[in-house]
Amino acid sequence: MAWAVFLILSFLCIGSVAAMILSRNQAHNALFLVLSFSSLGGLFGLLDAPFAAAVQVLVYAGAIMVLFLFAIMMFNLRGELPVRVKKTRLAFTVGLGTILLAELLLAGRKLVLGSPGAASAAGGDTARLGHFLFSDYLYAFEITSLLILAALVGALALAGKREGS
Amino acid sequence: MTTFMALAPLLTVVFGALVVLLLEAFMKRANREPLGYVAALALLAAGFFVIRSWNRDLDYFGGRLVLDRFSLLLIALFVILGLFVLLMGLKYAARQGMNLGEFCGLVLLAVAGLMIMVSSTDWLVVFLGLEVLSVASYALSGLKKTDRTSSEAAAKYFLMGSFAGAFFVFGLALVFGTSGSLDFSTLLAGGVSGAGLAPAGAVGLGLILAALSFKIAIAPFHMWAPDVYEGAPTPVTVFLTVGPKAAGLAVLFRLLVPLLRNEPFAAVFGSALSLMAVLTMFAGNLAALRQRSVKRMLAYSSIAHSGYLIVAVIAGDGPSLVFYLVVYLFMNAGAFSVLAAMSRKGVEYTALDDFAGLGRRYPWLAACLSVFLLSLAGFPPTAGFLAKFYVFSGAVREGHVALAVAAVLASLISVAYYLKVIVFMYMKEDQGEAAIDQENPALYLVIFLCLFGVVQLGLWPGNLLALIRQALSAAF
Repeated sequence: MAWAVFLILSFLCIGSVAAMILSRNQAHNALFLVLSFSSLGGLFGLLDAPFAAAVQVLVYAGAIMVLFLFAIMMFNLRGELPVRVKKTRLAFTVGLGTILLAELLLAGRKLVLGSPGAASAAGGDTARLGHFLFSDYLYAFEITSLLILAALVGALALAGKREGS
Repeated sequence: MTTFMALAPLLTVVFGALVVLLLEAFMKRANREPLGYVAALALLAAGFFVIRSWNRDLDYFGGRLVLDRFSLLLIALFVILGLFVLLMGLKYAARQGMNLGEFCGLVLLAVAGLMIMVSSTDWLVVFLGLEVLSVASYALSGLKKTDRTSSEAAAKYFLMGSFAGAFFVFGLALVFGTSGSLDFSTLLAGGVSGAGLAPAGAVGLGLILAALSFKIAIAPFHMWAPDVYEGAPTPVTVFLTVGPKAAGLAVLFRLLVPLLRNEPFAAVFGSALSLMAVLTMFAGNLAALRQRSVKRMLAYSSIAHSGYLIVAVIAGDGPSLVFYLVVYLFMNAGAFSVLAAMSRKGVEYTALDDFAGLGRRYPWLAACLSVFLLSLAGFPPTAGFLAKFYVFSGAVREGHVALAVAAVLASLISVAYYLKVIVFMYMKEDQGEAAIDQENPALYLVIFLCLFGVVQLGLWPGNLLALIRQALSAAF
């Protein structure tokens, strides 16, 4: 049963990401992304990580996608972008992408067929997550707040009024 | 020794950034230079804490923040870099329509990111430090809002940088999935014991290496660099060419040196790195030959220098790497600060033709630039010669003769374009157009300090070398 759900969700996820890349309509892109985020949330749920699943749906499929859609509406990017890709560059890109995909498949095959990796032991509820956040990962947590500060200042610096105008 | 004091340098810099950003809100537009002094003071305080922590091996957060002597040395380098950039920006900001408050705050935040990166062996912390650095650099390169090339640089850097960041996270997920730990040493344990890495771990490591090479601007991940370095405001270019490069190489060094001693691993990653080093040196130098803009030429030259620096990493030669980085800081910051001096309100002279006849009109400026360029090319008795000599001889000592030969050939090519600028300055007819505003004491201080560094380290490198050897003897 879990296998069936896993297969459906993962194909839905990969398929919607592929559709997002191939579709040339920005609004459709955003909606496909919502679909892929939601199915990713479902995959997290299958892995007994309800918190990650909820955050995935709330933050990514919810908040971030709303921002995306707003941006698309604001900029009004109706016109399709002209396709200007050189053949040699396309061939090069496809070649490199295939190599990367093959590497990842090779790496993944061993993971799926072999014993579960070392990291799979730690699942957990929100209490444990909170405990980790303020003990083991306190430093990383604090640096994240510094990162958000830097992003805020940077966004203000770039979007703010011009000097002297 | 576990103590809160290990956080002191980082906290000082972040606190300085906050103070600068808060003060900026209450200051008049006309004269914001005091903000620069506050920021410089924060960096000096951080420098003081670095010196206080020397030889004390402080750590905190269960070893996630480690101030060993290697990281302290690099943090000291970043503090000096930050000071140079701030001093260069003081007058430059007003002349080129940049907001000095935001500039100072972002430089301090970027320096904080560099410090976080080099003072940890935890993947997650290194990644977050890299992101703090990157986010601050994206904004810094777009600060010249009246200039389209600056905005283009910011957009380009942001898009490509985020892409590289995604590679890093993906690699990190694979590494964490196979090793179950976020520390370098767990991954290294698999590589060093000879058992080899799990395939997924090896792919993850490859992705992380690609992301780091992007930050250091190593071919074939260097495409973004010339446009960004050219478009960014000149003080920011100095930061971008030295800071991320030094931090990325330090992380690479910590990571790769134990791994490259191990046979199956060295066969794959060692040869890949050597190939990338050779590609970088030649791509940078050959492209620099054709440039008509001195700023873009120096941008390509800084790509070539990444190639030389990678040679030191491959040879596992820590002292040469750090010495080269210190020398590179002085000669590169010097060359770019002369470029920053070639400006007046609203105008920057970066084309090669603007340098024609500079030797007659501004003899001191031209003489300083000549020294920096000769040092970049590697002429004795400047520091650049010694730096290259140590790196190349270290490579030969470790048996990488072909790599050393390639590096020497590449630096022979580089002599051509460095000398071209000097020829233009002294032997071409004056066009009489570039009239520069010379009232800029802070910038001239930077030029003087860089000149002092280049000459001093070229003639008497003993003290610094002893310090570097002492710093690296314990760690590696």
